[in-house]
Amino acid sequence: MSNVVPRSVKNVLAGISWPVYVLLYTPLAMVAFYSFAPAPNSTGYSTFAYGQLFHDDVVFAALQRSLILALVSAAVSTMLGTLLGYGLCRFRAANARGIAANLPSLIIYTPIIMPSLVFGISELIFFNFVHSTIGILSAGLVTMVIAHITFQVPYVALTVFARLAGLDPNLFEASHDLYADGIKSFFYLTVPVVQPAIIGGFLLGITLSIDDFTISFFTAGPGSVTLPIYIYSAVARKGISPEINALGTLMITTVMVLAVAHFFITRTRDRRASLLPN
Amino acid sequence: MALTAAQSDAKAKNFRLWVTAGPGLFWIVLFLLVPSLVLLGIGFFTSNDYGSPVLPLTLTPFSQVAGNSLLGWDDGNIIILLRSLEQAGIATAVSALLSYPLVFFIMTRPEALRPLLLLLIILPSWTNQVVRTYAWLELLGPNAPLSAIAHMLGIVPPDLGIAPGSFAVTTGLAYNYLPYMIVPLYASAERLDWTLVEAGRDLYASGARLFWHTVFPQTIPGLLSGVIFVAIPAFGDYVVPQLLGGDKALMIGSLIANQFTETPDWPYGAALTIIMLVFTGLGLVGFRILTRKLGGAGEATI
Repeated sequence: MSNVVPRSVKNVLAGISWPVYVLLYTPLAMVAFYSFAPAPNSTGYSTFAYGQLFHDDVVFAALQRSLILALVSAAVSTMLGTLLGYGLCRFRAANARGIAANLPSLIIYTPIIMPSLVFGISELIFFNFVHSTIGILSAGLVTMVIAHITFQVPYVALTVFARLAGLDPNLFEASHDLYADGIKSFFYLTVPVVQPAIIGGFLLGITLSIDDFTISFFTAGPGSVTLPIYIYSAVARKGISPEINALGTLMITTVMVLAVAHFFITRTRDRRASLLPN
Repeated sequence: MALTAAQSDAKAKNFRLWVTAGPGLFWIVLFLLVPSLVLLGIGFFTSNDYGSPVLPLTLTPFSQVAGNSLLGWDDGNIIILLRSLEQAGIATAVSALLSYPLVFFIMTRPEALRPLLLLLIILPSWTNQVVRTYAWLELLGPNAPLSAIAHMLGIVPPDLGIAPGSFAVTTGLAYNYLPYMIVPLYASAERLDWTLVEAGRDLYASGARLFWHTVFPQTIPGLLSGVIFVAIPAFGDYVVPQLLGGDKALMIGSLIANQFTETPDWPYGAALTIIMLVFTGLGLVGFRILTRKLGGAGEATI
């Protein structure tokens, strides 16, 4: 095992790694630090920027949109992705070869491998085209939800697939022998067994949605500014302000608290649960 | 003719496959594959006065990409393309060089601590990309702490920061994509066969030689996955060069985006996208060949 590594090497590794850990968090800590900037015409640290933020209707509307976007897109992509992962694992012929057999994999990997800029611009053009010909899907929250579902589905599918692939196929035979039909065995066997993966996929979807900027930016309309878009345009237009830092701090804190809570909950529930999807 | 039991079974399976997997696949085809093919197609259309694609089909957009315009030839686009490749290359190299000590640092810690140490590296990447990118302006922007130090050392002129600039873009890219290198490399390191290292030591290899001949070859699959995961998104990144780059550090992502936002010229933008994807594809194919040559283990795939 790793006790082959001599003590001196371990010290060098630690000497390089701890500063990197500090560096990873320094920029985020600076955002938090500057969010407590003094109020106008006074000195010392204050929560003035937070007060401003809580009374800002534009920010509140953007927050609402971000939450709706994340929850709706994650819910739909969890449904589509779970069925997709389940179907590919259970019903794809094991001996299938050639393009037809690989087509589903190719389709699933496209959203993952495609640079998000190309993704976003493709959607921009597509929705623009659809809107100008049929008159539906003008750029706004709906088009953003559609785009977000598109990039989340593969991740949910892969998470569910990975969980199912590790399952004993005899379980399905057994349920079949006990006269469960396809739908029954789906709800009484598959769903309970892959439930952690489904929940994991849903949370992953929310995380991906909240993390995204580029795809949102190109599918958003004038009336569908979300938090990341709001922050981006504010920074690009007038630079960083204490209010933006306060907003950034709240976003950073929320993600960190949720991630750490999720980490410790899954660890106590299942000490062997893997940290990472698939 | 009656179907045999095996045939009807296969048929039922096929039907269930399309009922379950169909909707998800259809969604991706309709909302991503079709749109991206439309985008690629637009690259062969003529641009009208509003920058929208109209017939006839032409290769003019690609000539524009090469740097030709009404004003003659200009090397601007070539420089931007080379700069993007360079930035992606440096960011990938930096994250690989940082990942090795980090991954083996985690591996030499007690087993119970390892997931937490790994989480701490990944955690910043779960905050929104805009937030974690503009956060660097607090350190590298004009009059920010690191810019002040750089000014004292005579690297940047007063009142200007390290950001906007090339160095800030490299930093931002490496910071954004470091976890994408760490995770596959860590997966490789976890599966490492330490008996090989012991065997090497028994044969009196030590230090760098021991690492190079026993540890490094086993991490190549992880390293190559990491290179792809970092290099591809870094090459086409939009947020980092926009927020930390400025005019002199323009990358291909921003150039493409400009053709669809500020001064619309869709065919030109689509042609730029095609060129970007060609370079991305070449990189992927190159690394695929490398992985096969170096005996990369097959990962579990869908």
